[in-house]
Amino acid sequence: MSGENITEDEAALYDRQIRLWGLDAQKRLRASKVLLIGLKGLGAEVAKNIVLSGIKSLTLLDHTVVDEEDKNSQFLIPHSELGKNRAVSSLERTQCLNPMVNVTADTEDINSKSDDYFKQYDVICATCCQPSLLTKLDNLCAENNIKFFAGDIFGYYGFMFSDLGKHEYAEEIPKLNQKSDKQDEEGSGEPSVKKAKKDETETVVIKKEEIFSTFQSALDVDWTVTTNQSKINRTPNTHYITLAILNFMEEHKRRPLLTSVENDVKALCECRTKIMEKNKLTDKKFPVDFTEYCFSELSPVCAIVGGVLGQEIIKAVSQRDPPHNNFFFYNGVEGTGMVDKIGN
Amino acid sequence: MKNSLSPNLYNNVSNCKVLVVGAGGIGCELLKNLVLTGFSDIQVIDLDTIDVSNLNRQFLFRKEHVGKSKSQVAKESALKFNPNVNIVAYHDSVMNPDYGADFFKQFKLVMNALDNRAARNHVNRMCLAADVPLVESGTAGYLGQVTVIKKGLTECYECRPKAAQKTFPGCTIRNTPSEPIHCVVWAKHLFNQLFGEEDPDQDVSPDTEDPELTAAAGESALEKETEGKEIERKSTRVWAMDTGYDAEKIFSKLFRDDIKYLLTMETLWKKRRPPEPLDYNNLSDESPSSTNDMRDQRIWSMKECADVFSKCLAKLKTDLAAQGDGGMLVWDKDDDKALDFVVSAANVRANIFGISQKSRFDIKSMAGNIIPAIATTNAIIAGLIVMEALKILDNKFDKCTAVYLNRKPNFRKKLLDAGRLDPPNPKCYVCSAKPEVTVVLNTQKITIKFLEDKILKSELGMVAPDVEIDNGLGTIIISSEEGETEQNNDKFLSKFNIINGSRLKCDDFLQNYNLNITIAHVEKLEDEKEFMVVGDMAELQAKLDENSKKKEGESSGATPGNTSSKGRIGSVNYHSNLYTKQILVIF
Repeated sequence: MSGENITEDEAALYDRQIRLWGLDAQKRLRASKVLLIGLKGLGAEVAKNIVLSGIKSLTLLDHTVVDEEDKNSQFLIPHSELGKNRAVSSLERTQCLNPMVNVTADTEDINSKSDDYFKQYDVICATCCQPSLLTKLDNLCAENNIKFFAGDIFGYYGFMFSDLGKHEYAEEIPKLNQKSDKQDEEGSGEPSVKKAKKDETETVVIKKEEIFSTFQSALDVDWTVTTNQSKINRTPNTHYITLAILNFMEEHKRRPLLTSVENDVKALCECRTKIMEKNKLTDKKFPVDFTEYCFSELSPVCAIVGGVLGQEIIKAVSQRDPPHNNFFFYNGVEGTGMVDKIGN
Repeated sequence: MKNSLSPNLYNNVSNCKVLVVGAGGIGCELLKNLVLTGFSDIQVIDLDTIDVSNLNRQFLFRKEHVGKSKSQVAKESALKFNPNVNIVAYHDSVMNPDYGADFFKQFKLVMNALDNRAARNHVNRMCLAADVPLVESGTAGYLGQVTVIKKGLTECYECRPKAAQKTFPGCTIRNTPSEPIHCVVWAKHLFNQLFGEEDPDQDVSPDTEDPELTAAAGESALEKETEGKEIERKSTRVWAMDTGYDAEKIFSKLFRDDIKYLLTMETLWKKRRPPEPLDYNNLSDESPSSTNDMRDQRIWSMKECADVFSKCLAKLKTDLAAQGDGGMLVWDKDDDKALDFVVSAANVRANIFGISQKSRFDIKSMAGNIIPAIATTNAIIAGLIVMEALKILDNKFDKCTAVYLNRKPNFRKKLLDAGRLDPPNPKCYVCSAKPEVTVVLNTQKITIKFLEDKILKSELGMVAPDVEIDNGLGTIIISSEEGETEQNNDKFLSKFNIINGSRLKCDDFLQNYNLNITIAHVEKLEDEKEFMVVGDMAELQAKLDENSKKKEGESSGATPGNTSSKGRIGSVNYHSNLYTKQILVIF
């Protein structure tokens, strides 16, 4: 087990979560160093969730500046910080969430970072990145045994991706208490009333393993081949909406913006058409009105996706509980939240 | 367009007044979401103050806020996220009569972020009375749920019976414990017998009326008892006080003499491991776990338990004395003395009965009914509350759903499982046109006070009931006005000619709630129950019990229950933030 024992102060602070995931998981959390890329609404939610959980350190990396839209979702940035660097502006409130975590801000452009920079982290979580950058980061993480996460929010829509490579974890399952059942049959002297009230909360911890796919392989899925066409109906439509918006970001080197909403709607519709043609999708699978719902970040959607993403980071570093492999999609228009494995 | 909302919806959101009930785990996240989404007229109510164990998830609070009002600090912190909104904070119980139907009527929407059933029942009734839509929510560990309640359109919070709290037969607690929880329940009863509210149902001494004992065995044991053992007839409290709370004497009575006495009930031990009495002056100091673990985590030796037991007795004796004559202590999991007392007593008893001993950490969960809570689940649930609220404000009520957060995606890949809202139960004893229930009890053994406290308030969720007998005379037996009917408290129902088939008209003015109760008299109920609420409720309950047995194991720890800190007969209350998870299995 890593690190020294949990102190009395830590035990008091983390009491309610240690009761859920145990001391070993908490010790692992305390040893983990996380890099969070992108400090918009989703980034703020993820930062809050993992700093509260008690990781060792968090680096906030973002070279962009605070804009008006941040007021809709970025609660770590005071309104007075308009025009300043997002990472620096988020630092104070993030640190206040938990003084035991070492929080730092980095204002450099991620594209200027050397490969070595990333190797100091146990977990990298990238938000607000275009797909080519996500692919590059994911590959780098795979080579260096770093747990990789990505996510983004587009209005009512949001997604999370994870690549934990070959991930080993512990899972607590209810104990099949055959021994005591047998004992009862033979007659432990317990009257039948009492037997029914037997405590059944005993559990055993078992070790398991999960293999993940790369982000690139998810992008590379050829949905037109017969075997995959039949899968389309069972694949969340939010996946294709996400692909279209990610393609927009790749082409325009930015996200769709409220300040240029008319032009961006047109461009997004073009992205939709391309995705539909490439993958042979029907209108039903890709609702045409998605552009009404995909601008800015809706705060509750950040909370939902950030909650799932935060918990997946906690699971990954604590090596406790089965992770969601490998996408989570939230669709606030339809009210669905689904996990799907995409890629091979 | 100012954010992701359509201009029309944004307008509705920024012009409506909403109420948030609870500023805890869900409430903190919810307030953040609301001020960011554009809600600008928010009121929040919470009676609680901030504790250090809240800080891992209730992120509007920091260490320097410990001890302060949750609603007030939450308001100040949320205002920093958006200084342009108006928030009113009440540091108060939502069940306070100050918050009547008129208070609720001012809101377009009420959102619950509560952690107990009593307050949920009450807010449900207030929203029905005021005809305001309610978004209800709950979390427990990794699980959570959100649903919408609208008078006349959907089920209300009380349309379906909730799974009953887990109880243990008194004889298991007093005579034949077989699991750690039995010893913890016993130790909590012991605390109340010695220092708290004396409740004859929480007797800790051997039970001679154990149904397992033949009449003869019970009698012979009783005879042995009377031989020079007068002390057994005194109440435990009086006896303990007479000894000056002498640790050795109390220990010896509970863990040696009572156990020896239990051993005389030989039928109990024919197929069970007999208990082994302990000698106060000859205890093992071997700890079952390694000594370098934290005090909270390791298992204490018998010697250590006895030392802790003695020290706690002395400290609690002082606390009790400070309360003055007739004072009493209320057991609190966050009071170290009270917790240590239960840890030591429960472990000594476990050792005697060959039951595995538990750490202080584990016993705190069991005795304090702690539901583990994490930031991420609360964040997701608070997000889902706002998504439902947006549909209500967008006049898309037909799109509202009941959403469950699963631990793993289901076979349809759903991590969030949303289902349609069900219509009201026409026989609901709360929201139907003429609410009715039948209560089965023994009219010669149930007092007016019991009817008021345990049946009308605790079980049926009323706050300040007025009750009259429906006998054409309008005899009032319970009045919510102070001083009017207190003289009735200790009288049995039969004294008022309440017999099998009698009807009682109950009226809770605050909740704007009328309930007709039909009394069904029986001599005795099974499982030592004192009363039972039946009718359609019972049919549903039976179905529920049957189904939840089938589903056990799937409902990982999401045990619904209530949060009253006082237990029923030999029971532990497993409270939960989750409230209808298991009820789902009816379908």
